[in-house]
Amino acid sequence: MHQLMRRFFGTQGSKNDAKSRLKLLLVHDAIDLTPAEMEAMKAEVIEVMSKYISLDRSEVDFRLERHEGEIALVSNVPVRRVTARAG
Amino acid sequence: MSECIVITSGKGGVGKTTTSANLGVSLAQLGHRVVVMDADIGLRNLDVIMGLENRIVYDLVHVIEGECRLKQALIRDKRLDNLYLLPAAQTRDKNCVTPEQMRDLVKQLKEEFDYVLVDCPAGIEQGFRNSVAGADRAIIVTTPEVSAIRDADRIIGLVEAAELPEPTLVINRFRQKMVDRGDMLDKADILEILAIPLVGIIPDHEEIIVSANRGIPVAYDPESVVGEAYRRVARRLTGEPEVPFIAEQPTGFWSNIKRWMGMSPAAGAV
Repeated sequence: MHQLMRRFFGTQGSKNDAKSRLKLLLVHDAIDLTPAEMEAMKAEVIEVMSKYISLDRSEVDFRLERHEGEIALVSNVPVRRVTARAG
Repeated sequence: MSECIVITSGKGGVGKTTTSANLGVSLAQLGHRVVVMDADIGLRNLDVIMGLENRIVYDLVHVIEGECRLKQALIRDKRLDNLYLLPAAQTRDKNCVTPEQMRDLVKQLKEEFDYVLVDCPAGIEQGFRNSVAGADRAIIVTTPEVSAIRDADRIIGLVEAAELPEPTLVINRFRQKMVDRGDMLDKADILEILAIPLVGIIPDHEEIIVSANRGIPVAYDPESVVGEAYRRVARRLTGEPEVPFIAEQPTGFWSNIKRWMGMSPAAGAV
């Protein structure tokens, strides 16, 4: 019955949990950054970017991802508008 | 040209010893001269899996410490006269052997054998360093589980740090039915994460327990699906191209019907 429900409602099996947990785990194993250090890096990068562009800090997406064994820092920064340059 | 292959995994209990024994049997069946070396000093088990535990007189540590000649420690398999076991010591520990000594030992074995398979202990310490010391390449054994794949990833890094070429992967305890219902990581998921070439998928089967009980590796059984999976790994290792993987046929409702109607290859072909 459980299987049938899954088939009808498209609920995904536990393998997706395994895969997403594993990806996160491997990135953190490889990078060896604590969540606090990661937050600190994010704050500093946002600080630098906001000197040049106007952005909403709560909208910034900042995470480590892994593709085919390579680790990448993936960030999505929605820009509001270019800040008028002083002077 | 002889070759030393280390079978490793990081995590314990994923099937390194079973894989070592069955690859030894499969490579010997192909006509190669093979020795399987148990590098798990203090916790030896390869002898038990191969059913040779009653024949041990001397072991790897005796050879290294010069208490016997190499040939005295080698145990010939019961069924294949081109397959030998070099057992580990049971009452010593990993630190009584150095990587240099292991390298020398492998060098001597390579003079006598086409393939030297090293059954690496679990972990990343001395036992691992000793096992990779003399190896030309590595096979990583994993299972479709988060913990085993995490450790496999770590071991892949250490194998590369040891300046061995890119290792290859054996996925053990694979259950197609669980994959079909989305409850087990599939081949593609695992390869996407570990990103090394695949040399084998071994189905999870009761046969493995029975063979361990009897001390007869499944690769001896021509009828066994698991045995066939190991025989195919051996063929891939010896350079035979395009050996199909086992357990790749879909087992869902429609594919069963198609199979029944003769529209796709029979399950027996796995």
